[in-house]
Amino acid sequence: MKTKYLIPNRFRKIGWLLFLPGLLLGLWYLLGQSAPAFFDAKVFAVAGQPFLGKTVRFSFIENNLLDELAGLLIILGALMIAFSKEKTEDEFITRIRMESLVWATYVNYFILLLAIVFIYDMIFLWVLVFNMFTILFFFMVRYHWVLYKTKKQLRDEE
Amino acid sequence: MKNSIKVERAKINITQAQLALLAQVSRQTINAIELGKYNPSTILALKMAKVFNARVEDIFQLEEADWNS
Repeated sequence: MKTKYLIPNRFRKIGWLLFLPGLLLGLWYLLGQSAPAFFDAKVFAVAGQPFLGKTVRFSFIENNLLDELAGLLIILGALMIAFSKEKTEDEFITRIRMESLVWATYVNYFILLLAIVFIYDMIFLWVLVFNMFTILFFFMVRYHWVLYKTKKQLRDEE
Repeated sequence: MKNSIKVERAKINITQAQLALLAQVSRQTINAIELGKYNPSTILALKMAKVFNARVEDIFQLEEADWNS
């Protein structure tokens, strides 16, 4: 089937190869482990503000790239896993995909609404950090769960 | 919408997997259609009719409930 906006099936594997290391780096960062010095680098910042420091614009700054790398790997990997075609991508699968995306958007924003009401200050910053990834995460879980169920139904009938 | 895919499959003696291959869709899709959980697009319905050498109306029939949805 011709599909808009989906990428070839082979990107699924590449996606996992990016996503899993990204997840490990992200967990490492979350656990507050010291970032290895070889992630220190000079980077070009369109804008930045060190903790309690002055805002800088369009200049080179020192930064540890561990969290940036984790974020890039997780998002790129998750996008590839989420939006690569199935081996047989057809209209039924496309519908599951679409419904899962709607579902994930609702769940993601429902949780964010709760967080806006009940979570404050610096902790809310963590909500925003997680919220960068959760919509893709919810989508992946729901979509693959429904696909798994339809496949399981096939096996059960045999 | 009712369907008589199972009967049509039995007539020409093919499995869901074979029908999926002939209609160029996944097995889950054929299974979902056969169970009435998914309504195929016009194109897929026509392809399935072609496989069975039948008319679409022979395979899929409207039900009263379809008018109230």
